[in-house]
Amino acid sequence: MEQVALEAATHDVSLWALFMQAGLIVKMVMIGLMGASVWTWAIVIDKYMSFAKARRQFDQFEQVFWSGQSLEELYRTLGERQNTGLAAIFVAAMREWKKSFERGARSPIGLQMRIDRAMDVTMSREGEAYEARLGSLATIGSAGPFIGLFGTVIGIMTSFQAIAGSKSTNLAVVAPGIAEALLATAIGLVAAIPAVIAYNRFMGEAGKLSSRMEGFADEFSAILSRQIDEKLQPRQAAQ
Amino acid sequence: MKGSIGTSLVLHSVLLGWALVSLSSPMQLNVADVEALPVDIVPVESITQMQQGDKKAPLTEKPSVKETKNQKVVENAENAGESDIDLKSPPTPAKKPLKTEAAAAPKPVERPTPTPTDEDNQVKDIVKEETAPKPQEVAALPQPKPEPTPPKPEPTPPKAETPPPTPTPTEAKTEEAPLPDSVPLPAAKPKQEPPKEQAKPVEKPVEKKPDPPKPTETAKADTKATEASKPTDKKEGKKQETAKSSSSKASDFNADQIAALLNKQDASGGGAKRSTSPASTGSTKPSTGSKLSVSEMDALRGQIGKNWSYIAGIEGAEGVVIRVHMRLDQSGMIVGEPEVSSSGGSDTARRTLESSARRAVLRSSPFKNLPADKYDAWSEVIVNFSPSDLDML
Repeated sequence: MEQVALEAATHDVSLWALFMQAGLIVKMVMIGLMGASVWTWAIVIDKYMSFAKARRQFDQFEQVFWSGQSLEELYRTLGERQNTGLAAIFVAAMREWKKSFERGARSPIGLQMRIDRAMDVTMSREGEAYEARLGSLATIGSAGPFIGLFGTVIGIMTSFQAIAGSKSTNLAVVAPGIAEALLATAIGLVAAIPAVIAYNRFMGEAGKLSSRMEGFADEFSAILSRQIDEKLQPRQAAQ
Repeated sequence: MKGSIGTSLVLHSVLLGWALVSLSSPMQLNVADVEALPVDIVPVESITQMQQGDKKAPLTEKPSVKETKNQKVVENAENAGESDIDLKSPPTPAKKPLKTEAAAAPKPVERPTPTPTDEDNQVKDIVKEETAPKPQEVAALPQPKPEPTPPKPEPTPPKAETPPPTPTPTEAKTEEAPLPDSVPLPAAKPKQEPPKEQAKPVEKPVEKKPDPPKPTETAKADTKATEASKPTDKKEGKKQETAKSSSSKASDFNADQIAALLNKQDASGGGAKRSTSPASTGSTKPSTGSKLSVSEMDALRGQIGKNWSYIAGIEGAEGVVIRVHMRLDQSGMIVGEPEVSSSGGSDTARRTLESSARRAVLRSSPFKNLPADKYDAWSEVIVNFSPSDLDML
């Protein structure tokens, strides 16, 4: 009885001790999962900030766009800058419009199509930027628990082998091994749970932003098509 | 992105650092120092299978009756005692004769022709009522049998009371005379008749007292009487047969032959089972209080079930429970007729199942694989069956 008590006392069950006692595979799993957790939180912080920034920019641009300011003027001020979001779509459409009119557009339908294409391309590029790295969040969220479980299974296997070797099933002998093995699953869950939550949240935000961009693109396309008609009709009447 | 990775790393290291500090020394699990409580499993048989032995003997581990001197071994004996014939309750007959004889002598003098049988029966009943309760109690304890002789005078007094009013000295003499012969054969029952009859003629007013008990107890008494009168009765058949035969003899009672009527058997213990161990409290039978185990009981049921040609699909057979009560001898053969009774289900199903159960029991005798050392436990067996059991067999 005393012997067992002594043995139990020698077992350090602090986190660090548990980690150091673990086998190589379990250690690697733990380190990998810790890395995944760091990466997850890095993405979460990054995305949170970038989405907040994008929303702010959208609001600002819409305010400027609908303020009645001349579109030419707006284009001129924005043209020199690196634009994102709605501003990028606006600049792309205006650039296409300018190019077509500088050379003298032949058909209004062709011009309309080109402008729409330009806006679509910009939109998808912007959308991609919003959804970038969300995929890794999804992967960590779904695979994290499994990786942790793998570490646990390996850890328990080794601890059972140790039991077989020591021929003792005393809880004091078994417990540290199992605790160490379970640590792997715990880390896996710690990494996966925020990843899943963040993924769902950011996918929703990205969807909202892209639908907002689509709405703006449709509206701007309608405005441009009206402009085209107004500009081409006098010419046709002149001919 | 770099900034956010850095932030994330910092956050993680802070969290880990906190975890290392706070979780590094988990609270020691303080196990309450509870002393183990020793639990003993006490077999319920020690309470339910209590046995009465020799009251005066010291209490020993194994209950045992008084040591028997008669070492002639009687086969299949179940009841402890010194006699050569295995009888269950010898004292009962022994008592009856006493009273009857006391009254018996005068009878032939006054009435040479005994009254019709009906009356006889009634009379018997009454006598039994008075005596019956006591003998039964005594029957349970064969040991005290030697003692009964002293009590005998006690029962007689009530009768003696009735005579006092009668001034006839002859009766008193007769009463006194039989008393010493208090150990007659169990056959003395008939003599019981005379006392009553005799009493009746002598003092009718006084006898009215005894009469009232008749109607009140007639119900019980009649049934007992009828049972008793049947010579075919299984348990007490022997005794009662002897009683009957003796009763017929009693009618031509001869005082000179009284010695011939005396019971030469030792009054103590009617059984013939020998006991070698010294007397001790705990048992009337020299048994160990053993009990058939579940598997042994199942084996017995299995043997019956194997021989049971059960007809499936009898209507109303679902709730039927058949109870077979049989006596077995040491070789496993059935002694006498098994008693089969049943309950639940429809009447027809019951009847069919009862008869099939009887056939199965008779066919499966002799029963095998019953432990010989537990014969006391299976000498008398009650087996319960229900159709659902048979389906499993």
